[in-house]
Amino acid sequence: MFEALQYFSISWVSPELMFLTALGTFLGIYVGAIPGLSVTMAVSILISFTFSWDVNSALCLMVGVYMGGVYGGSRTAILLNIPGAPSAIATALDGYPLAQQGKAGEAIGLSTVMSVIGGFVGIIVLAVAAPHVSDFALTFQPRDYLLLGLLGILLVGSLSGGNMAKGLFAGAFGILIGTVGLDPLTAEERFTYGVVELWSGINPIAVMIGLFGITEALSQLHHMDKVAVKQRIDRLIPKWGDVKKYLPLSLRSSAIGVGVGSLPGVGGDIAALMAYDQAKRSTKNPEVEFGKGAKEGLVAPESANNAAVGGAYIPMLTLGIPGDAVTAVFIGALFIHGLNPGPMLMIERPEMFWFTVGNLTLANIFVLIFGLTGIRLFSKIVECPKGILIPVIFLLSIVGAYSINNSIADVWWMLGFGMLGYFFKMYGVPVGPIILGVILSRLIDDNWRRAIMSERGDLSNFFINMISSPLSATLLLAIILILLSQTPIWKKVFKPKNT
Amino acid sequence: MKKTIMTSFVALALSASAWADFPTKDIQGIIQWGAGGSTDTVMRSVTPHVEKELGKSIVLSNRTGGVGVIAMRYVESRRADGYTLLMGAENPQMYKVLGLADVDYNDMVPINLLARGIPMFVANNDAPYNTMSEMVEYAKANPGSVKVGSTGTGGLTSIVLAMLESQVSIELTNIPYDGDGPALTALQGGAIDIMPAVLGAAIEHVRAGRMKVIGLVDTASHPVLPGVAPITDEFPGFKDYLPWGPFFGVFVKKGTPDAAVDTLVNAFNKGAQHPEFVELMENRGFIIMNASGKEAEDFLSSYRSVSSWVVHEAGFSKHSPEEYGIPKP
Repeated sequence: MFEALQYFSISWVSPELMFLTALGTFLGIYVGAIPGLSVTMAVSILISFTFSWDVNSALCLMVGVYMGGVYGGSRTAILLNIPGAPSAIATALDGYPLAQQGKAGEAIGLSTVMSVIGGFVGIIVLAVAAPHVSDFALTFQPRDYLLLGLLGILLVGSLSGGNMAKGLFAGAFGILIGTVGLDPLTAEERFTYGVVELWSGINPIAVMIGLFGITEALSQLHHMDKVAVKQRIDRLIPKWGDVKKYLPLSLRSSAIGVGVGSLPGVGGDIAALMAYDQAKRSTKNPEVEFGKGAKEGLVAPESANNAAVGGAYIPMLTLGIPGDAVTAVFIGALFIHGLNPGPMLMIERPEMFWFTVGNLTLANIFVLIFGLTGIRLFSKIVECPKGILIPVIFLLSIVGAYSINNSIADVWWMLGFGMLGYFFKMYGVPVGPIILGVILSRLIDDNWRRAIMSERGDLSNFFINMISSPLSATLLLAIILILLSQTPIWKKVFKPKNT
Repeated sequence: MKKTIMTSFVALALSASAWADFPTKDIQGIIQWGAGGSTDTVMRSVTPHVEKELGKSIVLSNRTGGVGVIAMRYVESRRADGYTLLMGAENPQMYKVLGLADVDYNDMVPINLLARGIPMFVANNDAPYNTMSEMVEYAKANPGSVKVGSTGTGGLTSIVLAMLESQVSIELTNIPYDGDGPALTALQGGAIDIMPAVLGAAIEHVRAGRMKVIGLVDTASHPVLPGVAPITDEFPGFKDYLPWGPFFGVFVKKGTPDAAVDTLVNAFNKGAQHPEFVELMENRGFIIMNASGKEAEDFLSSYRSVSSWVVHEAGFSKHSPEEYGIPKP
């Protein structure tokens, strides 16, 4: 125990390591805020940059960037409706309306505090239960990933803003976009029309930047004469009462975040969307409607995506299996620094585990400090005259789309989807389900086929195993309950008792 | 006429002197695969040593997608001046027979083949077999019940499986994954039973006792796996294909001036000998090659012949190797 504490505090007692963590967190917040500049890319550039450094210094900087970056994605989501990363999509849904009501400062303040709470939940689970969680995560079969994807698809209901038919259309359209490219299982071309640039598919981040950033900028052109809302900057740090009020929701969302984050191959983006959905279902009487600036809609995804950071570290530190793209790069970094990331790491180098836990804790504290300073300045961005703001959004979107893969094709996709999104919006088709479909398409497609291949094409076996496995049965039950709860009969039977 | 000769001489002299101090600016390194993958890790760990030799930076970027075709096309679209390097793995050698592209590494200039890996068969700990022959017996008794993880057509797993199927006739159920990382994870969770994987990717899991090795696809046993016999002991027919394994290499476009190629070859040769890099690769179970010139070209041709024909005879090629003049091994 004493040794663990000693390792935990390595980065706390060294001024150099503390400074590097702070620097990393600061950089991460800004890298994360710029759409297209991903944390994954930033961390892998840092591998080369810190090559000759001591391993602890290198890790401090990279952990800071990771923690700060996941949080930073919410900044542009709230201020400009451009999520800095897919994990901040759900944040934009209610964060941007809040900013439009002059509450940008309050929204950033609240999202900061909730991110930090989520971050701590993730770290605590990592420190206390890592081996158990990772063993559980490994038991997920292709069939369970399929059910998880289907659970995600139910989110269309939450994102379609009242018009289910249009929402379903948008979701299906998103899934179609997600299937473009070489079939990941057989390498056959799908919807590529012989164009090599389409082999790797349409980048979901390009779609996201277009549908959110450009669509919003184009719609703003209709309101050029409207004066920007004056931002209220008197209350930036959320009231204690507010924090207390949202704490149960934040903890529930964080639990979703850690759980989904610890699954190999599923990350903070899906965690945040599922947490948003959960918040919408469980909040009985929100002060403001979801999608129009409900604070619950900000609390849930922001807690979940930062909790997913701790979650992603769980399989990585215990088994050498990455929980998401960023931890995959971390594995590479450990390897380059002469460590052997794998299941033996915990046994042979226990100090690495506690050092990382301590370091994440430190980075999370820096998120709180850097997150709550400078809000005043940021909320002024929304007050900018439209003539300046709209070109800036365009520029940011183009730079962002280009930097995903240094490819001009992504810029065209981004602009194309931006225009498409504009027309969709004019005709009342919600854009949220499109990006949901793009994100979930691969998860559902791959795992449905893997699951049915494992049963050698036998559908009856497929369903028998689904019911006989406790995990699959639970997921299936969750899907059925959510579907049933939306039917009129259910509402008639259960609703009156609640009120 | 005289004038043209004069100008061409001057141009030649100028260009010769220009290439003598190659590189005069930063070099771009295009990594075929994503951040955090094995190609990415290998390239990022050798590059700093090479930069020291060159005296200029190598700016690395990942251009992923299309089984590596996109990165290759990009490098081919740049000028042949040695300032754009392709850093990739073995996949392009299968492009032609799989109908993915009309170019492969034989149409480029190899700067350095850094290292190669050894494939092996790993199995879930609960599997009722411990060697390849036992697995084959089991699969014959229970057709289709052994689930094998694969990483897509033309990947290491498909070629090793094709080699196996050329020796024995068994029915396995193939479950494709995005890469060996996700597949090895699925193996530990029991979603698949066996999987051919490169030694380096699975060794840490084996050491921790989370999966077992049932066959080493090489002609000799390996120091990190004492007691595991090479597959040729059980299936001598494998000798025709081995040694075979995935590799990592650095390439430039054909037509790059010799002076630039020489400088790069020297720099990479020295960089790849750096003790830190050697130790790193050996820890991961890779065999250092550090090959260039004729040696590299021979290895590339042999790899292409073996893999193309194995895949063609297994029946999943789009074009016959003969169409491209790829000789039978």
